[in-house]
Amino acid sequence: MRAKADRFFVGPRAGLVAALLTVLLGATVAGCGGGGGAGSSTTAAAPASKLADRVLVSGANPAVKPADLARPIARYKRHVAAALGTMEGDVRRLQGAVDAGDLAAARQAWLDADASYESIGAAYGAFGALDARINGETAGLPGGAGSPDFTGLHRIELALFGRGSVADAGPYVPRLAADVRALRRKIPSLRIEPLEYVLRGHEVFEGALDLQLSGRASPWSSDALVALDANLRGTRVVIGTLRPLIDPREPLLIGRIDRSLDVLARTLRGLAGPGGTMPRWDRLPAAEKTLVSGQTAAAAEELAYVPEVVDPRPLVPERSAIGAVQAE
Amino acid sequence: MSVRRRELLIGGAALGAGALASRVPGGASAGAAEAGTTPAPSLSEAIPFEGPHQAGVLEKRPGRAIVASFDVIAGSRGELADGLRTISERARALTAGYDALFGPTGEGPTPDSGIVGPRVDPDGLTLTIGLGASLFDGRYGLAGRRPAGLKPMPTFPDDALVEAECHGDVLLQLCANTEETLLHALRDISRETRGVLGPRWKIEGFLPSAQRESGAGRNLLGFKDGTSNPDVANAKTMAELVWTGSEEPAWARGGTYAAVRIIRNRVEFWDRVSLSEQELMIGRDKAKGAPLGKDRELADPDYASDPDGKRIPLDAHIRLARPRTPQSEGSRILRRGYNYSRGYDEADQLDMGLIFVAFQRNLETQFEAVQKRLEGEPLVDYVVPIGGGYFFVPPGARGSQDWVGSALFV
Repeated sequence: MRAKADRFFVGPRAGLVAALLTVLLGATVAGCGGGGGAGSSTTAAAPASKLADRVLVSGANPAVKPADLARPIARYKRHVAAALGTMEGDVRRLQGAVDAGDLAAARQAWLDADASYESIGAAYGAFGALDARINGETAGLPGGAGSPDFTGLHRIELALFGRGSVADAGPYVPRLAADVRALRRKIPSLRIEPLEYVLRGHEVFEGALDLQLSGRASPWSSDALVALDANLRGTRVVIGTLRPLIDPREPLLIGRIDRSLDVLARTLRGLAGPGGTMPRWDRLPAAEKTLVSGQTAAAAEELAYVPEVVDPRPLVPERSAIGAVQAE
Repeated sequence: MSVRRRELLIGGAALGAGALASRVPGGASAGAAEAGTTPAPSLSEAIPFEGPHQAGVLEKRPGRAIVASFDVIAGSRGELADGLRTISERARALTAGYDALFGPTGEGPTPDSGIVGPRVDPDGLTLTIGLGASLFDGRYGLAGRRPAGLKPMPTFPDDALVEAECHGDVLLQLCANTEETLLHALRDISRETRGVLGPRWKIEGFLPSAQRESGAGRNLLGFKDGTSNPDVANAKTMAELVWTGSEEPAWARGGTYAAVRIIRNRVEFWDRVSLSEQELMIGRDKAKGAPLGKDRELADPDYASDPDGKRIPLDAHIRLARPRTPQSEGSRILRRGYNYSRGYDEADQLDMGLIFVAFQRNLETQFEAVQKRLEGEPLVDYVVPIGGGYFFVPPGARGSQDWVGSALFV
């Protein structure tokens, strides 16, 4: 069965956990000054044959150190700066369309701006209050869409897509332009914590499942597919920066992540109309929604291993690795 | 009887049930249930996943069930095979029990949801896999392999089907003693097969406590339901009525067909109807479950002595469903349904009813024959089929390397 392990691989977690346990309970444990879990390995009665079947790699590479993430984060910040530069252009076009009273052009510029912002999801946490100003939604605002604090991209979305009114969007576009410019200028000095960064590998997709594919993030434009496509591009950038750290430790993981993202990308390309225009999510047939949601969730399952593999914190094996059954 | 003594007896019965746990537990028939004490459900009760037939068909129903339908979203035939194989692998482990692996310290995904604690007990879990007619289209090269009797569930005249709760490529029926065991199993399998199985619909069911009264449990109309099921302990009867045989291609023999119907009960309307009217519609005494004019639940309704329907109306539910004529006995089905309840409808009426699950060898000569006899019965005003589907339940996994459906991919 071992030979078939890769071909018949569906659920990644058993194998990876086994591999990680090997790391945890094996050579590196000594280096981390504890052997708390070593004795319990034999009691892992979870389908043992399956674990044995699916051990992918018994990686003995040194743990990732925070300093190892400096270069990936620097690369990612360049992506963020470039995306915000693009977004400034999108917002300029949006302003032009609003000034000209051209609703169709304004909508297209808005979709482009939203996509630009959705491609940098891995950094939102570091943006502070500017993120809420740019991308804030009605959720959590007393008064919802009527709240005076509802001003950013999605307030403009309400105007353009919900009310079909260019004039209604008018007051909010200059402010958005200023916020995006301010954020872009902040990027060089922006501090993205290494731990924060590695978690974003799958959290962007968790966000897509929670906010985009539920239809909550963009209730008026229903541009979940545009956002998801941008989330996918952004996630590829994150994974690309981490690849040199993941590859020697879990060589099969990168392949599985790439495949899961490729599958989703192919589906999204198939849904796009002429010129790459995405259909509205709320008008997509149920079968296609199921396909997109399934492939997004399946990719999230793969991406969820990234933090484990490149976690910059030292291993702390003082807690039992095996269930809670072992008396400590 | 003192409480203490009663606990001892129940404990003993539970031990007995655990020891007897086999593919066809003795006493699974309604008759036995009526005759004796129902054993308390046991966490250690293990029903083997492997066997000539799948589990979850003949076994006595445990208290909880999830019926979930999926559409296959796999990109290839190989991925579909992987997904089906994974379901069997996980089912084998989950139905046997194991110590949960919570995972190493860190930020990685936890291998086990942990919702049943460090020990995953079998808890009477069965996981039954069904395949819908839609799976046998051109997508995965299975067009030529469709079981002879499999077709999409038709719309019957009294149906009000909601497309989103109908049909599906793959059906999973999970049954266990407790809800958390079911949810643990469902989450485990879902995360392992997320890229293969796209959810289509899901419904959760329950049975009344077996301690409440003997005999068949009550549905949400308040009537005993399932009294006249065929005897699952009788292998000959099961071979005639439930398991497929030479009428099917070799790989599909020893399987069965599941007819699943989500039947909404208009319970508030029903409660506004008088007892006598209810009893005449059903054909049974509401309190005892006995056929009208008889005194025991299992008594024969004796239609021969009532040709004009003076005691049990000719259009009473039990009389139409099973007229007990020589011609109608071959259309008997093995019912294994659960009650459901889930919120309110648009008119603020309770949304509850029956997850009707019936197993049979032939959908047309059994389920559909019964269904046809029931068309237009007085009860249709109170019961509204809204969902479900037809599924072929392949034979069981043979041995530790086999998986349900493997024969389709050789």
